[in-house]
Amino acid sequence: MTEEKMRVGLFVTCLVDLMRPRIGFAALRLLEAAGCEVVVPSTQTCCGQPAFNSGDTRVARALALKLIAEFDGLDYVVVPSGSCGGMIRAHYPQLFDDDPAAAARARALAARTFELTDFLVSVLGVGGVPGDFEGTVTYHDSCSGLRELGVKAQPRALLAHMPGVELKEMAASEECCGFGGLFSVKFGDISTRVVDRKCDNIRATGADAVVLGDLGCMLNIEGRLRRRGDERTRVLHVAEVLAGED
Amino acid sequence: MRSQAMFFKARAGDKLADRQLQANLGKAKSRFVEGRAQAVADYDAAPGADFEALRDAASAIRDRVLANLDVWLETFEDKARARGAEVLYARDGAEICRLVVDIARRHGVTKAAKSKSMLSEEAGLNEALAAAGIEPVETDLGEYILQINDNEPPSHIIAPVFHKSKEEVAELFARTHHTPKKDDIAGMAREAREVLREHFMSAEMGISGANFLIAETGSAALVTNEGNGRMVTTLPKVHVVVTGIEKLVPTLEDFSTLMRLLPRSATGQRISNYVSVLTGVKGEGDLDGPEHLYVILVDNGRASLVGTEFEPMLRCIRCGACMNHCPVYQSVGGHAYGWVYPGPMGSVLTPLYTGIGNALDLPHASTLCNQCGVVCPVKIPLPDLLRKLREKQVELKLRPWRERFALRLWGWVASRPALYGFAARTAVRYLSRLAGGADRIRALRAAPEWTAGRDLAAPEGRTFRELYAERVRHEGRTKR
Ligand code: SF4
Repeated sequence: MTEEKMRVGLFVTCLVDLMRPRIGFAALRLLEAAGCEVVVPSTQTCCGQPAFNSGDTRVARALALKLIAEFDGLDYVVVPSGSCGGMIRAHYPQLFDDDPAAAARARALAARTFELTDFLVSVLGVGGVPGDFEGTVTYHDSCSGLRELGVKAQPRALLAHMPGVELKEMAASEECCGFGGLFSVKFGDISTRVVDRKCDNIRATGADAVVLGDLGCMLNIEGRLRRRGDERTRVLHVAEVLAGED
Repeated sequence: MRSQAMFFKARAGDKLADRQLQANLGKAKSRFVEGRAQAVADYDAAPGADFEALRDAASAIRDRVLANLDVWLETFEDKARARGAEVLYARDGAEICRLVVDIARRHGVTKAAKSKSMLSEEAGLNEALAAAGIEPVETDLGEYILQINDNEPPSHIIAPVFHKSKEEVAELFARTHHTPKKDDIAGMAREAREVLREHFMSAEMGISGANFLIAETGSAALVTNEGNGRMVTTLPKVHVVVTGIEKLVPTLEDFSTLMRLLPRSATGQRISNYVSVLTGVKGEGDLDGPEHLYVILVDNGRASLVGTEFEPMLRCIRCGACMNHCPVYQSVGGHAYGWVYPGPMGSVLTPLYTGIGNALDLPHASTLCNQCGVVCPVKIPLPDLLRKLREKQVELKLRPWRERFALRLWGWVASRPALYGFAARTAVRYLSRLAGGADRIRALRAAPEWTAGRDLAAPEGRTFRELYAERVRHEGRTKR
């Protein structure tokens, strides 16, 4: 008798696709290790968040419909990003106020979509993870993951299962890192001031690595730490830490 | 007050470079943020108390008023008139000024003592009074400091001199009052009080705002931390209240619900030092109170928001929590926003009240981190409203064409997987070449502001989709 595996769609996000493929593979390994059948639609691109946040709803709608169709019929959709997860869960349903059929599909997808660590903990009840990181880490709560999806305890619970990891909380871990997508491009100097406060808080913990669940924050924080001359503190996506080396 | 909101970016740059301001902002931030957190925790610690439920109740009260604003206004008007007040309406700032100057002339006023009022800032009332030969004297300590500093605009709605240090104020006082420089706040407050006392006694007219108007009693409620509000509203023979039409609450009970939220959200206090509920003129045999009371109810753009997607903004009770918790406000302070209302609430209100085309940067000057929405006592979805303003800008083609074009192009490419795949591979190869073997890129022409402050970590050389497709070919893995 063969047990039906849970079919889980992995949305890797465009930033992972472009900048850090290894995070996508780490997410894949975690889901497979947890016993899921992982489906990675090859036509996936972007969830539409940049357009949505810039006020271009038409583009956002088109990309949302595309994504909804790509992940149709799967049991769950998992995203290694709080902000793209938040886009699908919190914002897709509002995009179709004047199109009830599309709104219903968006709501159905939203209900099946989870941020990676939330999925592992809340849906699968995963305890152990394959990773084997050794050292102190501090966790940065990304705004969308935290405030749109309620991701706070889940990544910490998973890290707690790793014997070599010591979690040291930073001050104001819930405070924004100043990325904000195009905000950091349009208002680079204000964003720099905000991320400086984050870097100070990270530094004050003396942790070997800052761990987070969002590519945007990751590029922003890592970029600023390095520019400030900090070559020591590693900046790692939570999936990389949990999955360990390939 | 003339809006400078179009210059947000340049002004923000100046504020970032202002060392003294940066130090002041840092200190003030921790005070307000920690203060509120403690007040909320204390509230929740009491048996049966739930701050979240309180927020829900408060937004419901505000929505109830907005749903029937005209009816509540009539109720208020009737009750206030019955107690001897005169109720007037002003469409805009110019009308506020005209009405107040008329009232002043009618009563032969030469000096007006003022308690803090945002609407008088919206209207530029002080200049209008001065032009009419009436001396306006700000009596709120913060506003007084700004007035003697060459009429500097406030930088925060409840703490107008949030941006100044004790040291700066001490110098200003010594210079203006010709007194030896003090180094303690109590001493400076005493000094200001002595100067202001004269004005309280000699002003024929008092001008105040109102935190709330209570419909069932026709009262204006004033919430302050200094005694000045009381003096302004009781000592002079004429009292003029200038406030927005949205400040109404139906009952005293509703007022008390909101009062549980306002000071806690604003300053972390359980209640503020002075809460005055002012009803009508001085009665026969009363020892104090004004002989003439005027309530000027101002629209200035408010009515046009009722029934629109921006209506939730009218729930605002002006507590300032959104700005205290905003990472952008914390970085640049209130002056950068360029008009009466700073921070997230200002980024919504300024474009709505002064014209969407006159504050193009403000709706974008937010990371949408939603810390403001989380702390707003009346649950205004500030990030959603900012996003809606961005949508309006796109609809009205107010964004720079380059930006609009780039977004459209991105949308067009991202809707075509094959093209997207090609573009992504090309971009990654380009960035990798730019890094030239290093693990980071130090300057990127496409995002100069970004790389002015940070390095861009170099991509890994191949896209996920490329690598994954390869793997599928090798392993025959599940694919769609
Ligand atoms: S928007 Fe909310 S948090 Fe901001 S001032 Fe108004 S009531 Fe307070």
